[in-house]
Amino acid sequence: MPKEYARRIGSLLLSSAVWIAPQETFEWGQAMLSEVSYVEGEWAALIWAIGGARVLAKHALLSMFIQGRRKWNVPFSEEFFAKEVPMRKTTLAAVGACAVASLLFFLAPAFRQAFQVSLAPWYTVIHVKPWSQQPNLELKVLTRRAEYNHDAEGLAFVAVRHWDAGESARLAQDAVHLNPELIWVYAVVAVGHPELSQIDQWVSKLEQWDPHNAVPHLLTAESIDIRQVIRGEVLQRTDLESRAWQDAMSAAFHSPRLDNYYDRLKELDRRVLKRYSLRDPYQAIGCSYCLPSFTASDSSRYAQSILESGEFLEAHGDRKGAFEKYWTVVHFGQMIGSAGGFMVNRELQKAYTRIGALSEKEGKHQQAQLCAYLSSKVDQEKEKELNSLRSRFNGDDVARSNALLVRTSALSMLFFAGLLVISGLAYVVRVWSHRLNALRANTPSVAFGFGGAIGLLLSSVLLYVSYRPYDEILQRYIHTGDDDRIPELSEFLAHMQIPLGAENFKQLPDFVFYFWAWAIVLCMVALLLAVVLYLRSRPRTSATT
Amino acid sequence: METPRLSPQTLRVLERFVERPTAWRYGYELSRDTGLKSGTLYPILMRLAKHSLLETKWVTTEDGVPPRHTYRLTTKGIKEVRKALAQACSGRKVRQLALSGSGA
Repeated sequence: MPKEYARRIGSLLLSSAVWIAPQETFEWGQAMLSEVSYVEGEWAALIWAIGGARVLAKHALLSMFIQGRRKWNVPFSEEFFAKEVPMRKTTLAAVGACAVASLLFFLAPAFRQAFQVSLAPWYTVIHVKPWSQQPNLELKVLTRRAEYNHDAEGLAFVAVRHWDAGESARLAQDAVHLNPELIWVYAVVAVGHPELSQIDQWVSKLEQWDPHNAVPHLLTAESIDIRQVIRGEVLQRTDLESRAWQDAMSAAFHSPRLDNYYDRLKELDRRVLKRYSLRDPYQAIGCSYCLPSFTASDSSRYAQSILESGEFLEAHGDRKGAFEKYWTVVHFGQMIGSAGGFMVNRELQKAYTRIGALSEKEGKHQQAQLCAYLSSKVDQEKEKELNSLRSRFNGDDVARSNALLVRTSALSMLFFAGLLVISGLAYVVRVWSHRLNALRANTPSVAFGFGGAIGLLLSSVLLYVSYRPYDEILQRYIHTGDDDRIPELSEFLAHMQIPLGAENFKQLPDFVFYFWAWAIVLCMVALLLAVVLYLRSRPRTSATT
Repeated sequence: METPRLSPQTLRVLERFVERPTAWRYGYELSRDTGLKSGTLYPILMRLAKHSLLETKWVTTEDGVPPRHTYRLTTKGIKEVRKALAQACSGRKVRQLALSGSGA
């Protein structure tokens, strides 16, 4: 900028500041403006003007919040420089309007849900307890209502979601007692709590009720496995599987079908969610967490043992016996499909390869080609599954940033609400009066109050807007059964389970430790500051006496 | 009305006024003498004027040049400021004595 323009620009700047400044400061603005012509040096004149403009701009800004005298008939206000001034009624009205508008958001169920979901992960931090063990009020109320109404479906809904095994079993039994058609709930509860002692009893009932299903047999095998782990026999089990386990797995592999009851569970969930107007997304899509990958390691281990025995038979020239063994694995692999089939993909592929090789030897070229095709298809499925797992592990950027936005908005809401409440209390405490006309505040209090109200409103809007799409996904699922976008919601909820700031910690307990350590340090610093301020402000004995 | 809080900057301004209590001073002149920028000086002048310690008037120096705002202490201002400066000086002395250890 050429030097000669500096003074002119300064004058222009200061003139603008005089124009926007309140009438009370007009004379002083003119005083500073007139001095610009006398300042020695072009740059010094510009700096002079900037300093003056800063003062006037500050007063212009403050006059928006603090009531001055009537603008046009008083040249200069004493109140302007007073430490305490009456609040401008419009400011008070604006603060009130913002606070009321923010509270009105709570009337929207989606907003309430968003707020609850965003603060849920802090349960772990505050209570130093696993998040899954937090008392879910909605679920508790639902249990009471379902028990009162003898609603079997309501009880079943809670049973498959309850983290406590004993309570889950009790509710499941109550549900089946009320409606024997819900016996399949035993299977879902058993998968969630394989340590339950009732499983044997349940499995025999399930076998009678659904004799062609592989699931009860898989549950038996899983239950045997878990008991071995509990008894500490896990190291020996690979050498010699128990007879009961072998029988259970054999029955599962030879079952005509496998039904994991997902469709029944989904329909039951939707009915209960609608009946009780539940909106908690964790509970609504909770069934996808409960779904079993049906004892994947058991299936894989047993499939491997069948393949080995097939290879043994093949080596000893028993092609028919070998074929049967390989086909058993293929049958099970195809049957288990999406209910966790990818875990036996390797064995399934091997079975296809062996069948293909045997078919070639027997001159059945078409069967060999078909097996090669099916094997390659398994490869594709495996790749697809891996990609899906990888993307799930790495996380979706949109879901991650939305979760961040929602969590930040909820915490900001709390922060601004706190600021607003503290400012409000400060006004009242200062004058010991609730009369609006008597409310007087110093500038920082007014600024904090106004800032708190605006911040609260903006945070509320942001929280609502960023959560709304996920609520729509959930509502569509509940009302139409459309679960196409449920993975998006699951992804979002997975990110929502991490408290804000804990992303960079490998383990949540580390974050909990540092959080409390920092909280204690900050409290101590605050206490120290308070003591120092008190010591500085207390009346002192004169040094001369 | 109470005398405004006397910050070191305010004291510096008052000291300049007390040097020639009856003389009218310009803003830029005060800024140069005290080393305070306009953004610090003018709020002080405004506060002193609010407490009636300072009187202001517009003066025209020559044609074509904008009139200037000038300031000087009022009678009340001279009394109050002398009292305040004396207190400030004694406070300074006490502090200096305490720091040098000769007061013991």
